[in-house]
Amino acid sequence: MGAGLFDSVESIQKELADLDYICDVNIATVVFLARRLEKPVLIEGPAGVGKTELAKVVATATRSQLIRLQCYEGLDEAKALYEWEYSKQLLYTQILKERFSEVMSGAKTVREAAERVGREDSVFFSENFLVPRPLMKAITADTPALLLIDEVDKGDPEFEALLLEVLSDFQVTVPEIGTIRAVKRPLVFLTSNNSREMSDALKRRCLHLFIDFPSEALEIRILEAKVPEAGKKLSADLVRMMQALRKLDLKKTPSISETLDWARALLALNAEELDRDVVRRTLNVILKYEGDVRKAEGELDKLLAERVDDQRSGAGAAATSSAQRAGKDARHQA
Amino acid sequence: MQNRILEFTNILRRAGIRVSTAEALDAFRALEVLSIDDREVFRDALGATMVKRAADVSIFNELFDLFWSGFYHSLRESFDQASAGLPERMDYEALLRQIAELLQAPEGEFPALSDLARAMLTGDLGQLESLIRSAAEGAGIERIENFLQVGFFSRRTLEGLGAERAAGELRELSDRLRAAGMSPDESEALSSLIDRLMDAIRNSVRNFTEREIQQRNHDYMEKFRQETLLEKSFYHLTEDEVRKMREVVERLAQKIKNILTIRRKRMKRGKLDLHQTLRRNMSHGGIPFEMIWKHRKKDRPKLVILCDVSSSVANVSRFMLQFCYSLQEAFTKIRSFIFVAELGEVTHLFKDAEISDSIERALQGGGVVNVYTRSNFGNAFYAFTQNYLAAVDKKTTVLVLGDARNNYNDPKAWCLREIHSKAKNVIWLNPENPSAWGFGDSVMNRYTPFVEVAEECRNLRQLSNLIDGLILR
Ligand SMILES: Nc1ncnc2c1ncn2[C@@H]1O[C@H](COP(=O)(O)OP(=O)(O)OP(=O)(O)O)[C@@H](O)[C@H]1O
Ligand SMILES: [Mg+2]
Repeated sequence: MGAGLFDSVESIQKELADLDYICDVNIATVVFLARRLEKPVLIEGPAGVGKTELAKVVATATRSQLIRLQCYEGLDEAKALYEWEYSKQLLYTQILKERFSEVMSGAKTVREAAERVGREDSVFFSENFLVPRPLMKAITADTPALLLIDEVDKGDPEFEALLLEVLSDFQVTVPEIGTIRAVKRPLVFLTSNNSREMSDALKRRCLHLFIDFPSEALEIRILEAKVPEAGKKLSADLVRMMQALRKLDLKKTPSISETLDWARALLALNAEELDRDVVRRTLNVILKYEGDVRKAEGELDKLLAERVDDQRSGAGAAATSSAQRAGKDARHQA
Repeated sequence: MQNRILEFTNILRRAGIRVSTAEALDAFRALEVLSIDDREVFRDALGATMVKRAADVSIFNELFDLFWSGFYHSLRESFDQASAGLPERMDYEALLRQIAELLQAPEGEFPALSDLARAMLTGDLGQLESLIRSAAEGAGIERIENFLQVGFFSRRTLEGLGAERAAGELRELSDRLRAAGMSPDESEALSSLIDRLMDAIRNSVRNFTEREIQQRNHDYMEKFRQETLLEKSFYHLTEDEVRKMREVVERLAQKIKNILTIRRKRMKRGKLDLHQTLRRNMSHGGIPFEMIWKHRKKDRPKLVILCDVSSSVANVSRFMLQFCYSLQEAFTKIRSFIFVAELGEVTHLFKDAEISDSIERALQGGGVVNVYTRSNFGNAFYAFTQNYLAAVDKKTTVLVLGDARNNYNDPKAWCLREIHSKAKNVIWLNPENPSAWGFGDSVMNRYTPFVEVAEECRNLRQLSNLIDGLILR
């Protein structure tokens, strides 16, 4: 890593923006602390606000290899930490059959034979036969690594206990081999959708980052970075609409990923602005539940009217105020 | 600074945010590596290290403003205003140089002056803040209880601060400057500046005292709010209060899921499937190169809820439905039913709509039951055995929410017995006190033989204790 890169809150914000990830001071501060204090970060927040993406861009920005562990119900040590490569072990015993007979020759009892073989154990339970899984890979990595433990809330409580052990001191004990320690601690990002509250013990070991839905100004900048073809006016209208939709009580509030999907869908339809008809036809891109679509349709006139009103009362004013806000964000970066 | 952070930690704890010592230490470490001049960064650093529950973030922000940025900002504002009153042609920097000459001291040090006078003159706000703070502590500010005492504590703080002495020093200074040849209107401006500085310090002290009491009230109010909600009977809840409990209820639902998910002792894999393994390895001469494992089956808990939506007081039902909805979000294998005299399924309704809508619609019968009748538990259980018994198997927990007030109808307890015989267990939560069970038109006593757990559940605290208790069974 070159000097001066990624070593202040501002430079983090800027470098992530260069990778099209637009974030506020809060996110950048926590990333900064994670690196300086060498602590894992637990990222919580609604679906689609960029939790996973953050880990990916930080890996890219810090030139670290991204090691990803996707959690699910039933994820266990063998898939998360390591596993013995049984078939390879067996293959070797077959190849070494001859040598075994030598070792065993002269043994008087089965027990004695077994003991002699047992003494050779370490040949078969060595790192040669170990299949490292993501946690182990991250600990043994000899180049900078970022370990992403994605959707940790989907894992079982037992898995959480395993994580605690690993995250406490970045070492793993394999009974047959001994303790393996991280040479260089990897950065660790855990993401959670909060389908389950993580234990206090785990939280104590982590820095906490809550990513909420973005402010209007921030969302416009995200949209401009990710779907520049959308153009200023459509982007602004669309984001305003999304912000209004988020104020309704919906079963699933649409997120940044929906904003981006929507923008792409509208471009595909060659829509240049949001009108009633277009919105109606594409509402299912952003709302996944029947009930939500119905509710939004009911409010549609109001939502669209707000927008029109704003335009009439002087699009100029609206534009300057959002420009000012954008300017403010930019100053934070500078 | 460290003391201030510890003090802030205590305030967070008093407001119900759990901050461990290790986390406070993390906060110190964070502040060592960050510049704390930027308030926003400072706030985020404290938040990331000490506040780990999303639900606590807003309380943290509020308290942060009260504790940190608030006072400093107002201090800056009043002192900026005070010095902004100087006439244009008078250069404050030049004035300070003049004073330095007069006192024959390096500029900005003024050893002859008291700390307060020096800080006021040089506009050292950080110093001012810490002087005010320690004077307030000396005045016993932690004993302040209400707004009527603001005047009293402000006066004591000003005394401790030595405000009068500082005022005297500054006036003397201005006299000496005049004697040393300062022009009359400049010296006029100077003494009015001194008056304004004195006003600023008095206002700031008062402001500090008021903030102190706001912080305290905040903790107090917050606790008060939570505790009454915990204890308040479901019968007396308002709609708004039910909504406030949403988050707690979600937690409880999640907890139930964790309890019901009884897993076998952890194995790294399932069992070896001998049959399949031998078959697969035929071609290797029977040497088992490839192992086939039986898939480990998980006992995914199943839940069936029967919720009475008739209660004479609708908010009991409203609360219970909220609980049902949260359960449904937590479980994958769940079916929800509502009943009054008829019974109907609302699983799809909950699945499809947002929580408040779902509840309101269920209270109206959800299109599946008529709510304008009187409860008939017997009939509801009978309907269940007729139409939905297949939903219950050995892995199913059946949860009944209702008061068992049957309006003198036939309780048909045999129906519940039948449900019970097919289920893993039956849990009944009743908002009424057990001493009332079986009296009047309550038929609870007729049902309890077919229920593993029958408990009073009249408020949030009971519900939460009850769920904790389930772990032990
Ligand atoms: N701040 C941002 N700047 C640029 N793009 C963003 C930002 N936040 C989110 N996105 C985009 O939004 C989409 C969703 O992000 P991501 O998959 O990281 O969300 P998530 O929070 O991990 O969601 P989930 O909880 O569903 O896993 C991605 O395409 C990502 O590129
Ligand atoms: Mg994700």
